Amino acid sequence: MTKRFKNKPTGLLSFSDLKTPKGKIVYWLFFALLLIACLVAVIPAIWTILTAFKDTQEIYSEFTFLPKNMSWGRIVTRLSESWAALQLGGSVFNTIILSVGNLVMTVIVCGIGGYVLSKLKPKGYKLIFTLVVWTMMMPGQMRLVPCYISYLHFPFAYDIGGVSLLDTYWPMWLGAAANAFNVILFKNSFDGLSQSYVDAAKIDGCGDVGTFFKIMLPLAMPIVIFVSIGALSGAWAEFFTPMLVLDKNTVLPVKIYRLAGDTSIKMNTYFMALVFSCVPTFLIFLIFQRHILGGVNIGGVKG
Amino acid sequence: MKVSRNKPGTATLKKKRWTRSDTTAWLLMLPMVLVMYLMIWRPTVMGAVWSFFKMKGYSVDKFIGLENFRLVVTNTQFLPTLWNTVQYVFWSLVIGFLPPVVIAVILNEMVHFKSGFRVTIYLPAVIPGIAGMLMWYYIYYPDQTGLLNMLFGKLGIEPFNWLNNSKFVIPGIVIYMSWQGFAGTMLLYYASVQSVSAELYEAALIDGAGIWKRAWHVTRPQLAGILLLNLVRQIIAVFQVMEQPLAMTGGGPNGASISLAYQLYLYGFNSGGKATGQAMALGVIIFLILIVFTCFYFWINKRIEDNY
Repeated sequence: MTKRFKNKPTGLLSFSDLKTPKGKIVYWLFFALLLIACLVAVIPAIWTILTAFKDTQEIYSEFTFLPKNMSWGRIVTRLSESWAALQLGGSVFNTIILSVGNLVMTVIVCGIGGYVLSKLKPKGYKLIFTLVVWTMMMPGQMRLVPCYISYLHFPFAYDIGGVSLLDTYWPMWLGAAANAFNVILFKNSFDGLSQSYVDAAKIDGCGDVGTFFKIMLPLAMPIVIFVSIGALSGAWAEFFTPMLVLDKNTVLPVKIYRLAGDTSIKMNTYFMALVFSCVPTFLIFLIFQRHILGGVNIGGVKG
Repeated sequence: MKVSRNKPGTATLKKKRWTRSDTTAWLLMLPMVLVMYLMIWRPTVMGAVWSFFKMKGYSVDKFIGLENFRLVVTNTQFLPTLWNTVQYVFWSLVIGFLPPVVIAVILNEMVHFKSGFRVTIYLPAVIPGIAGMLMWYYIYYPDQTGLLNMLFGKLGIEPFNWLNNSKFVIPGIVIYMSWQGFAGTMLLYYASVQSVSAELYEAALIDGAGIWKRAWHVTRPQLAGILLLNLVRQIIAVFQVMEQPLAMTGGGPNGASISLAYQLYLYGFNSGGKATGQAMALGVIIFLILIVFTCFYFWINKRIEDNY
């Protein structure tokens, strides 16, 4: 234990502090605080999972944290029963389509946008960049109704023809592409790459598009992964716009919200629906944990 | 493209004339500019313009000047709603502002289970927003099926009405918001805490500064910039709270949790198309309130960048 303390870089607590009783108390006090923070973080989720495996009877009469009888057989039955009752298959499939579209749109549109702003810098790019930066701070509510009106008569926004985007994924896809934050992330990350890559590619006869896909995008892989994770898991969490525009082809978050008002769904089954809705983002987190937790180092935004 | 026209007097900065590479670059950037225009710039401007128009459902009817604004502001619910929104911001600062930075600093001091703590604390951020809201809706459930009242029951306390209590509903929603947003903010601070150089601490140690003195005189000044930026960012974000009252309370009890943005949603999508103009007028009002904070944000951001 002291060996671990010895290697600790000096911070608020140093090795010499940690040799004194006072320092030790402070350290373990910090430790206890972190434990409490962890408990606060996980208890709501654990309670939801446990409730999902209880009987409906048990939820309404027993009022205990832990389910009475848990066994593998029971877990399997509860899972399969709930899955059959909830019929989430369609909305899961729709959310997959939505998330892939979000991913493609984000990487291509925001990526190329950031690349042009960072490396090609055509005349007038400063104006565009300033607009993009300010976009980030504009309150989204202001454009809520006008956006909806544009979806009705896209792209005119006036009742002079155009197509309705209702019940399609385009509002979300275009919304994912119009993400100022991601454009700036890409721009900052390309700023960190030398201009000579672009020049060299040009001398070798590579076009602008080729340079972007073959050279710049692979070099900027950390940011591409970071943004992609955000786009993918964002689709599994995006609720408001899909709620407004989707009717038949619902996605998982909207489905979960609508199920809340469905009286034919039993309480424990509904809790299972909440659990199911967390599975995709949780899997994304497990797979890309290192990128997500380390990601803020590249996430610093400069205006 | 008229945006590229050079103004007279900028001759020293003037690059060469419009070239073919400018054209290709603009073509490449076109998708981004187009979606920004269609999804953000035009709707924002149109929202401002149409707030002066009478709307017939979702189509424009005729110019009526400030009538929409008058209807919004003279509504008896306007001031209570504004006050609710301020309360959201107030409580989110009280409940949610300090914990992320405290935990980030403490986490950086750990030599045991550091990454385990980090992963566990991050869990709420992994849960999709709507699932989190509904989870907390059941945690706050007014009878003993809810987690909190279940715990109360164990302690022999009568069930409390939580979200049905007009005094508690806003802090209650804010507790949920802080729970879910906590980890993301903490990671942001954590990166800054890690970048505070150990030499500063060592120097302070040699000068005989104790633990708290080091926290106040070394850690705090190093984090001051990002703390201030986050403060403004949090004010701006929470001022726009909309989905949480929508999903957790529907604005209740008796409108005690209606925020300005949720009111805008009600005007825009829950009024049978009668109040879409008022929705846009309210959008302009929210914008005017927040522009002050936004300018302040960019001003500090600039100053911080100049300092480092």
